[in-house]
Amino acid sequence: MHDLKARRWANVAAIYCFLLLLSVLFMGPFVFAFLSSLKDNPTEWPPSLLVNQLRPANWAASYRLAKQGGGNGFTGGMGPGGSLEFEVTYWTSPDQEPVPPDIVIPKRVQGGAVMALRVTHWAADYVQVADLEEVRREPSADGFLTTYRFRLVNTGDVALDTVPMDLTVPMRQQFVSATLSPNRIERLGRTQSWNNVSAGLLPYVFGNYARVFRENYSVSTGRGLFLLWIRNSVFLAITRVLTTLLFASMAGYALARLDFRGKGAIFAFLLFSMMIPQQVTFISNYLVLRDGVFGLSRLFGMPTLLNTYAGLIISGLVGASSVFIMKQFFERLPASMEESARIDGASTYTVFFRIMLPLAKPPLGALTILTFQGVWNEFFWPLVVITSPADKYPLTIGLLNLQRAYGSATFDWGPILAGTFISALPVIVLFIVFQQYFVEGISFSGTKG
Amino acid sequence: MKRLTLALVVVLLVSFAASAQQVRIGGHGGSDTIIVEEMIELFVKPALEGTGITVQYEPISDDFQRYIVNALSAGTAPDLFYMDIFWAGSLISSGVVEPLDEYIAKSDVLKAEDFIDTLVDAFTYEGKIYGIPKDFNTLALFYNKDLFDLAGVEYPSNDDTWDTLYEKLEKVAAIDPSIYGLALQPEYARFGALAHAAGFVPIGPDGKTNLSDPAFIEAFKWYTGMAETGVGVMPADISQGWGGGALASEQVAAALEGAWMIGVFKSDAPNMQYGATLLPKNPRTGQRGNLTFTVAWGMNAASANKEAAFKVLEILTSEEVQQWVLERGLAIPSRKALADNPYFLQDSAEAQANRIVFLGASDGNVLPYRFGQYGGEWMDPINQALSAVMSKQATVEEALAEAQAQLDALMGR
Repeated sequence: MHDLKARRWANVAAIYCFLLLLSVLFMGPFVFAFLSSLKDNPTEWPPSLLVNQLRPANWAASYRLAKQGGGNGFTGGMGPGGSLEFEVTYWTSPDQEPVPPDIVIPKRVQGGAVMALRVTHWAADYVQVADLEEVRREPSADGFLTTYRFRLVNTGDVALDTVPMDLTVPMRQQFVSATLSPNRIERLGRTQSWNNVSAGLLPYVFGNYARVFRENYSVSTGRGLFLLWIRNSVFLAITRVLTTLLFASMAGYALARLDFRGKGAIFAFLLFSMMIPQQVTFISNYLVLRDGVFGLSRLFGMPTLLNTYAGLIISGLVGASSVFIMKQFFERLPASMEESARIDGASTYTVFFRIMLPLAKPPLGALTILTFQGVWNEFFWPLVVITSPADKYPLTIGLLNLQRAYGSATFDWGPILAGTFISALPVIVLFIVFQQYFVEGISFSGTKG
Repeated sequence: MKRLTLALVVVLLVSFAASAQQVRIGGHGGSDTIIVEEMIELFVKPALEGTGITVQYEPISDDFQRYIVNALSAGTAPDLFYMDIFWAGSLISSGVVEPLDEYIAKSDVLKAEDFIDTLVDAFTYEGKIYGIPKDFNTLALFYNKDLFDLAGVEYPSNDDTWDTLYEKLEKVAAIDPSIYGLALQPEYARFGALAHAAGFVPIGPDGKTNLSDPAFIEAFKWYTGMAETGVGVMPADISQGWGGGALASEQVAAALEGAWMIGVFKSDAPNMQYGATLLPKNPRTGQRGNLTFTVAWGMNAASANKEAAFKVLEILTSEEVQQWVLERGLAIPSRKALADNPYFLQDSAEAQANRIVFLGASDGNVLPYRFGQYGGEWMDPINQALSAVMSKQATVEEALAEAQAQLDALMGR
């Protein structure tokens, strides 16, 4: 008896360990990607889990520094006349006299020459260093720790959103700590460099995320592109979900319940179209869109459907697999429900919209999620159809644009990682909230998607 | 039914008549989008006022070559588009790019001789000019001053030959086992400049490549020899993807790179004390070598409004636009006249580096970064040989014999 109990517990433990291992395997890359997307150098090797941006001391410091500078503690900035206090500690060996750091406010902006076009006020022109003094010197293990304090003062009458700073000390004088951890250490340890000492809490912690929104803008309209891309993707996904729900349920109902000539042939054709890979019909689809569906789009004043949302939506009104899911569902509903409605005098439309559709909530839910996820992640077809301007891109193509902007020119992976992470969020949330529908979607169709 | 057909015809006619003089220009996405759109706002729109011509930039995020080939065959390509020297040849030989000589002859502002000769030559096929270079890059020797200071060695200079540079790099590499002199990217895109300095020509007059050319072997041995002695290192061996990354990480003292390094320094190592000099001279020939990487504006041969497109092209390649681009450090201009621009005389490391890259195009054996109709395939055997020798998987003789065999197979096809 006792033996059986022990074995049962051992089984449970084994299963839990196995599940734990699986969840680490699945969640590990996700957590790692998130941590990396916060880092100053996401490609650092070996990767470290101690991210500056996740240390509470830095949170407090970034909030306090922005507050002192006369900006908002959360969103940052340095107001006119603002003044913030900064401390930095160096280690020197006993035979070396510590030297106060050389403090420079450089003319620097993240995002390269392109962002420099947008800067109207450089911190370098307004911010001055004041009251540099040694405040502490204490012996440490085998040398001295010396702390310097100074203030940065905005002498201009403009508000600055970025105040970069570089400190340089002689060789062998080693940096130990500062009010705010530096974003990078350069010149063999001599220079400590900050992107923005008055960043504020959120831009400090989510620096790469802030950059994604700030650095991608449209010259013609001046609007931020990343938000537009998200909006475009949401619009496309919702439109496609609506058309899919409507047409899939109507077609599925017709195929399942109505009797008409050629039904078998249509269904066979539907099945056949599911078997053809997208790549085969790609060129003909492209030509159909280019000519505006045999010239029909000219009736609406569009010479071509390329580079339009109409083209994307029309070419993806409904997928054969969605029709298939709905047909399978309607076939399983008992015929008696429909018959009783007909006896009461309901027309086919009434039966469909009043009786059948309300019963079809579970497959419609599954279809919603599968379609939303499919459209949200769709890449190849929008890449071909939507070419310009950048305001029109859906998020997936926008991410490709980010890769061009950061990956090919400067190997600046932070914003790319941040952008990718943002694009993954909606689907993850959707998955967690509607988990059961996903499973149902699989059981309805036999396959995913 | 008749009425419907009539309406359809009317609609069709109206939509044809309404097509205004819109010039579409296609180029890279990413940061180019902002640069070109800014250029259009500042220069193109004011200049075209009253002509009825409008301009639209179409940035392509995807691989541009793939896009333009597809768009040209589908008939949806823009009127003006970027042409990279690396693949322009195949487009031009298929006849989809408009030759520009007639337009240039009629133009009062655009003259081919105003542009750097090697760049215009790169887009000249069978005596006809197919592209107006918009900007370019060459290789320079970028170095980290801190590491040279630490080693107590003079900075590399324009007088250096391969031998004197080697001595300097050797001393820097002696500081510490984790520090190397030169980043040795195993690619013809870097090594090629040295081969050209020695007198090597990628594709000879007979249409063949001869890797047993003593000039090639000399350069090959100098380059790979540094990996053997530890004076140089392949970036991959210090977990860096490319030479520029290795230089920015402060593990190597110098790298052969183009002006793109300036942007990399700005984002990855903004405080690096870097300098740039012309590539070292080959001690035997006394010449430098280089590769030009350039992009031109080409015109779509099937464009409906070529005259308008050429007007836009004139503005986009005008001196004032190029000056604007240069003064913001966005790209290096292709016009000769800008060699004397005050920007180049500034003291900043950035302006100096840009000047060196600019000068690189007209000093010594400078060849465009293109390899007949073979494209990247031509470089692969050589890149593999470089990599094999530097990772000690093959001797120089074995690797070159293998590469020659592959090239013969490629070019004999």
